[in-house]
Amino acid sequence: MKGIVWPRFSHGAVMVFRRDFLAWVKYYKSSLLLNFGEPLTNLLALGFGLGMYVAKMDGVPFVDFIGPGLLAVTAMNAVTFDTTFGAYDRLNVNGVYESMVTTPLSAGEIVAGEFLWEACRSLLYGTVFFIVLLALGLVHSWWSLLLPLPLLITGALFSAPALFVATKAKNNEQLFYYFSLVITPMFMFSGVFFPLSKLPVLIRDLILITPLVHVVDIVRALILGHPTDSLWVDAAVVVAYTVGLSILPATALKKRLTG
Amino acid sequence: MLHQTATTAPDVVRVEGLVKRYGDFEAVHGVSFFVSEGECFGLLGPNGAGKSTTIRMICCLAAIDGGTIHVLELPAFPGNQAIKQQIGVVSQDDNLDPDLTVRENIEIQGRFYGQSAGEARERAQELLVWMQLESKAKAQVRDLSGGMRRRLVIARALMGKPRLLVLDEPTTGLDPQARQLVWAKVRELKSQGVTVFLTTHYMDEAERLCDRLVIMDHGGILEEGPPDEVIARVVGEECLELSGISEDQQVQLARHLGEAEVTFSEWQGEIWAVFGSQLDRLLQRWQTLESALPRFYRRRASLEDVFLRLTGRDLRE
Repeated sequence: MKGIVWPRFSHGAVMVFRRDFLAWVKYYKSSLLLNFGEPLTNLLALGFGLGMYVAKMDGVPFVDFIGPGLLAVTAMNAVTFDTTFGAYDRLNVNGVYESMVTTPLSAGEIVAGEFLWEACRSLLYGTVFFIVLLALGLVHSWWSLLLPLPLLITGALFSAPALFVATKAKNNEQLFYYFSLVITPMFMFSGVFFPLSKLPVLIRDLILITPLVHVVDIVRALILGHPTDSLWVDAAVVVAYTVGLSILPATALKKRLTG
Repeated sequence: MLHQTATTAPDVVRVEGLVKRYGDFEAVHGVSFFVSEGECFGLLGPNGAGKSTTIRMICCLAAIDGGTIHVLELPAFPGNQAIKQQIGVVSQDDNLDPDLTVRENIEIQGRFYGQSAGEARERAQELLVWMQLESKAKAQVRDLSGGMRRRLVIARALMGKPRLLVLDEPTTGLDPQARQLVWAKVRELKSQGVTVFLTTHYMDEAERLCDRLVIMDHGGILEEGPPDEVIARVVGEECLELSGISEDQQVQLARHLGEAEVTFSEWQGEIWAVFGSQLDRLLQRWQTLESALPRFYRRRASLEDVFLRLTGRDLRE
């Protein structure tokens, strides 16, 4: 179709990734702290606090149930915060993208570079949270060694819509709409805190067409150690979302920078 | 389309019948000009004249709605990497990367142009020294002064070893010292054979740096040529500014304007300005008149006079 731009994974994209890494190195301490405060609080307060009153969830202790879910959310949020606010600044405030397109870089390469970086960010922040789970004795299976795979894809998956929103937002406040209308509802209803099995079918089906629930399924199955065949469906949905959403930011950014 | 067979080097930029529309508004209509290899070319005009739009199309950053642009003999269109690989762009704003150090800012630029890590490091070092920024290599860009930021932006644009350097208002907001340094560097680049495409609102800057220039307004070209020639053609060589003069006196003096090569005269506020060549004949004649010659100031006509003559004195906002 005319006008559609795909991310372009090239040497240039790797250099955009490198730029993001060089920038991250300068503030990684505060970044790690900011991204862990909330999920860790949730884990401790809800898992161990509320967990005292909740017998079991889907056959496992409550804290064991929400740990993997919060890991998936940590990855999603780390990527979403960085991509929305960070990319908004790079596009509208600092002119970083504007400067990049005057070089041989294209909008598709910039987006591809951001995907690569956010995939790594997701892996990084997910892994640190994994270590916390490990220390708390909440990891139950060697299947966990496969976690980097879903984490990398999760990074690319959630950076796509976030980057698109950052490209379309007319001001900083509009980014918050994305959090309150998309990210937070997904966080609450994607099987992080309770299984979907007891929900009315219509609502459950509605939730099943969103992406986070499938990431949560995969991460939980790997950490708790009971992978089933349905994980292939989850994986297919996650990959389909990642590929499908990836054209949104590349197309929008190209229009914005060279329209 | 026919092109004249050139015996000299091909044009670095060739714009023919260029058109750009935004909805119903035609921002650029049928503009043609060329930039020769090794020259400093100026594109001048008030705000909204169509300069920035034209530059964006030359830099492969905006679509062309009509006509053609060739840069280094390649057709320009949004995202043409073959052109972008050979040009360096200094945009109006200091769009340095605030998350990177001074050195990182220009090293990564070299990588964007496809250079290896070693190559980019070496080139960055050369340029930092050349732009007198070496001592600031590890600083964050927010800690730089305006002049340093500007130098860094120019150094960054040179990382890709461009054959064409596009400078969009390179000295806006700089103090005189910083401007002088930028000018010196632009001249040095020119002597190294880099073709320079400049826009500026400072007419003295254009007059000093440009070999040839074009003045645009309302999306079209008003004048074209070397600064001296344009000045001579549009306003003449010099200007007499008479102050403290009554209208009666002016009428009396104006009777003799035909005795010199006066191009035009006009009131500029309280000052009556007479433009033209060989104005000393006029002065001599005025001195023979009974009424005392009012206070006057005689000066060389400048590009600023041309600019105001062509584009008017009304404010553009």
